[in-house]
Amino acid sequence: MQNSIQHSYFYEQPLAAVWAYLTESELIAQWLMPNDFLAEVGHEFNFHTRPMPNFGFDGTIYCKVLEIDPMKKLVYSWQGGPEPGVINLDTVVEWQLQEKDNGTELSLVHSGFTADQAMIFGIMSEGWLKNITKIADLLNALAS
Amino acid sequence: MTTAQIDIFQTLADPSRREMLHLLSKESLTINALAQNFEMSRPAVSKHVKILQQAGFITIRDIGRERYCLLSQDGFTRLQEWISYFDKFWSNKLKKLETVLNNKANA
Repeated sequence: MQNSIQHSYFYEQPLAAVWAYLTESELIAQWLMPNDFLAEVGHEFNFHTRPMPNFGFDGTIYCKVLEIDPMKKLVYSWQGGPEPGVINLDTVVEWQLQEKDNGTELSLVHSGFTADQAMIFGIMSEGWLKNITKIADLLNALAS
Repeated sequence: MTTAQIDIFQTLADPSRREMLHLLSKESLTINALAQNFEMSRPAVSKHVKILQQAGFITIRDIGRERYCLLSQDGFTRLQEWISYFDKFWSNKLKKLETVLNNKANA
């Protein structure tokens, strides 16, 4: 079970251009979501998207800038929940930029899909097959 | 829809409920057998069992005279869907960024 999401993407533009789209509120809004981001460590901001009640998510993502290394790295927290004040998604988004010959490589790690959740999956991957067998055994015992 | 209204994360936030899933991953248990592993009242155990059931992590089946708690895939599938949702979300967004950057370069 993975408990982080990783992506990397190559852009033909220079690093500074890509960095601007990660760190300027209006530019971020053009590709990600409306937000009140400011490139200052400790700044708290929100993203707004559509709610997904089935996942206990009301559509607001609560973030805080955790780390900025200009032109290299940006880290913010990424939290959400079913209503204000209730957090059930407590994750971290980390961006890194690397200059390439003809453009920029952007890498993203979205981590912290909690240890609990990962643990539950760990249990499942070992336990699930055994469990299926067990159910079958119980049902067979019942039938005989 | 009934299971969908229960928050899977809130369900898993409780250590006793996680322990119950852990125990049930090894073998299916009756509610009584499950209760023996916890220092809480039988009604308290039943309440946790009900929450796990509503969230889709377990089903309860009558086998002979006993009621057994069995793990159910549904709750786990939804956890996986939630994480996959963000996986797709980010690939879409990164592609969108490419379009935005290209449009700007050509403007």
